[in-house]
Amino acid sequence: MSNHLARYRRAWRVAYASENGKLLASTLSLTNTDLEEFAYSTNSSRVAEDVLRALEYENSAARPKITNKAGLEVWTEVYVAFWKVAQALERHDEVEWGVVFAGMKDLTQAVIRGFQNSGWEVWQLEVLYTACKYLRYVAIRADEAKRAAGEDTWKQLEEAARIINRAFNVCLNDRAELGQSRKWGTYNIINLLFKTYFKLNAITLSKNILKALVANTTEMPDLLDFRTSDVVTFKYYCGVIAFLDEDYFKAEEHLDMAYRLCHKAAQKNKELILTYLIPTKLLTRRQLPTAALLKPYPSLEALFLPLAKCIKAGNIREYDEHLAKGEDWFVKKRIFLTLERGRDITLRNLFRKVYLAAGESRTRIPVDHFRAAVSWKSGVDVEAEEVECFLANMMYKGYVKGYISRERGMVVLSGSNAFPGTGV
Amino acid sequence: MAAPPWRTTGGTAVQRPGFHSVTIKKTLGSNIAVASNRTASQTPTQASRRTQFPDALKAYVARTFEDCPTETKAEVEVALKKIITEAFENESVWTIDWATYPLPSAARRPAPDSDKMDISSGDEAIPVSNKFHKVGNGNNKRKLGSRNQSDHAVPDREANLRPDKRSKKQNNSSDYSYEGPDAFKRLDRKYKKHQSKNVFSQYNAMHSALDSPGFAPIVGKATKLEKRYLRLTSAPDPETVRPLPVLEKTLELLKSKWKAENNYSYICDQFKSLRQDLTVQHIKNEFTINVYEIHARIALEKGDLGEYNQCQSQLANLYSDGILGGHPHEFKAYRILYLLHTCNRSNMNDILASLTSAEKQDRAILHALAVRGAVASGNFHRFFRLYLDAPNMGGYLMDSFIDRERLAALATICKSYRPEIAFRHITEELGFENDSECEAFFVKQNFSDFVKTKDTNDDSKGKTVLETQRAYATIEAAKSAAFKRVDIKGQI
Repeated sequence: MSNHLARYRRAWRVAYASENGKLLASTLSLTNTDLEEFAYSTNSSRVAEDVLRALEYENSAARPKITNKAGLEVWTEVYVAFWKVAQALERHDEVEWGVVFAGMKDLTQAVIRGFQNSGWEVWQLEVLYTACKYLRYVAIRADEAKRAAGEDTWKQLEEAARIINRAFNVCLNDRAELGQSRKWGTYNIINLLFKTYFKLNAITLSKNILKALVANTTEMPDLLDFRTSDVVTFKYYCGVIAFLDEDYFKAEEHLDMAYRLCHKAAQKNKELILTYLIPTKLLTRRQLPTAALLKPYPSLEALFLPLAKCIKAGNIREYDEHLAKGEDWFVKKRIFLTLERGRDITLRNLFRKVYLAAGESRTRIPVDHFRAAVSWKSGVDVEAEEVECFLANMMYKGYVKGYISRERGMVVLSGSNAFPGTGV
Repeated sequence: MAAPPWRTTGGTAVQRPGFHSVTIKKTLGSNIAVASNRTASQTPTQASRRTQFPDALKAYVARTFEDCPTETKAEVEVALKKIITEAFENESVWTIDWATYPLPSAARRPAPDSDKMDISSGDEAIPVSNKFHKVGNGNNKRKLGSRNQSDHAVPDREANLRPDKRSKKQNNSSDYSYEGPDAFKRLDRKYKKHQSKNVFSQYNAMHSALDSPGFAPIVGKATKLEKRYLRLTSAPDPETVRPLPVLEKTLELLKSKWKAENNYSYICDQFKSLRQDLTVQHIKNEFTINVYEIHARIALEKGDLGEYNQCQSQLANLYSDGILGGHPHEFKAYRILYLLHTCNRSNMNDILASLTSAEKQDRAILHALAVRGAVASGNFHRFFRLYLDAPNMGGYLMDSFIDRERLAALATICKSYRPEIAFRHITEELGFENDSECEAFFVKQNFSDFVKTKDTNDDSKGKTVLETQRAYATIEAAKSAAFKRVDIKGQI
């Protein structure tokens, strides 16, 4: 940290003087354009000394903010680690991500120590966020580099997850009074953990986090008192976790809240939320997205709108076709198996049309009429037994009220409310 | 002179095909030409010894290149070669304290002029670098250094005058501000995935070649074809491990014994020891796949899903390692059916995501996917047709959940058919071979009470029916119990 890095040094000093967490954290951002300069400003044998001297100088400038030696030492560890990261990133033609990751790990651990042992305060939480955020990014790059070399591993990301988990505990278990509590950092870190666990495909670990959170819920500030951006992300992940657990009612609750709180300009986030909210509402309320809702999201519109139209029209074949067309994306998003259940609703709507078309005699309809409808709309000749099977399923699931009389080849439908929830 | 740890603990070199010293010598030769020329006549022991780098030396080399200006890299390399060669020559390579050993002078980057402005009296606290501090100061000035001075001089001075007041404005305009949502994208762009190699990465390649594990698999010496399975608790003894040619004969023997005797506990035990011998010898080839496939099929036939699943997961690894041979499609189809058995929707999603278009053309996989679709939509009519028409050994796998699906179908039937349903129809719809098989199922499930034979006067006399309304509650309970065992969630 030589003198021409005055901007780094000044940012650190000013941040401390004005308790500006964002400014403080920004000195540890990998996107800083000063990074290369910083990397070349010293070398591994003298970096610790350089950093410490610079910090001592800045700290003594006006009113020293850090009064004990250990306090400066933690910061020295942080910046030495940061220098290692910068050095590994900037001073080689080919970045060795494993080395970058090792540095980022030291950095994050030093930051965690800062909170645990050196009395870092709430306003400094931004530093923790930044450290964890880049730790995760760098770990992914390091693993990708290994994977590109043919090694099937997420070891480094797993290690990052463990460190971020420690950061989570440092926040969650702080006993200081609420105004000064690190508990305010909990949701930001949780969201990073969720992201990491999802990437690792270790969703059960996310559930463990939620359990730990529930156990501490009485001492936690109200969720809505947290930064809205953190709340939205948190609710989104809770929703997706419930969705994957097939707890669709809970999923709907979480995702609804995320959607309502989401900033209106955060198009991408709203799109992510809707990706899960639409299949959820299809199952919980048999509710279809309108064209107006989908309009701002062309990719969602292209996939969901045709499905919605087919469901409404009872068009089985086209429903299957559109589902197959979007299959790759649906599967990737893990909504395919849920959307597949929309076929039931498509069938229900088709049967309902048969019922309505039957006019006066609609409480007793030959199975054959339904068979004709299904054959027509699915484009293949369907056996009577299979249509009976469809009808039986509808009745079993409560979509249709009535029974099948196999002796007479008749479907006997309830005089009132034969298709619950559809007005007939 | 301390021997490096891996030399004292390592096994015999004889047992290690592809011993590393060969490749290392090459790398070393190109990198440190002087060294290899001079030592070419030395004894092999010394030659292999000199391929070992102490960790401290590796770190030393790294440090050398760390601060090395591009212009002087060649110079540094020569100096470095000299130092290392000498160290090897006089055998001091293991005794030198590389951590404090002075770097080659050319490797030192001149300290920036501005360092003089650095406050504090800490200069004497920098041991090694001081010595080389001023070397090359005149000609090695980095471009970066000059850029710094011109680019940043003005803002720096301004900032130094009134830093605190400027800070807020800077906050929004400089790097020290909100990074924006695309920070990672910018990083992705900046540090692209593939960049050119340099001297340093060549060194790293050598470095990693040195580091790669020296573990070579053992080669067995046992000649007896059969062996009882015993879980290993220590390093395998080559005397009791059968080499590949023997194992090949073992497999033939086991195949014929299985045909002749059909003794599953014997066969399973023998296959496990066969698999173990393959594992400890790191044998991964078509034969390995063959062994696992045969064991998996036998386990399927005997309904031993635990053993089947072990083989299945090993096979998945072998296929994905790109080993040719075997029947990956057949086993992928089994995997889909197995996931249906365990009701594992999240893994099912993963496997659907992994299917290639070639796999989606395969008959067995198409069948498994059709089964999955039928189960998902409750289409029991289609499901039981597919059960009777399963390719390969899919039928055996479906056996593991066929009763559960029958209960589900029966529950649906009882809920929707009134007043009764012909027993004959159930036999046909639920994939039973004949009425008596269906009856046996009803007896096993304790549903016989709900089956009545009609003795009315019309022509349906003697017809056996299931009284759906009366049976519904019992069958529904049996269905729930059957699904509970695999913990199926979220039925809506």
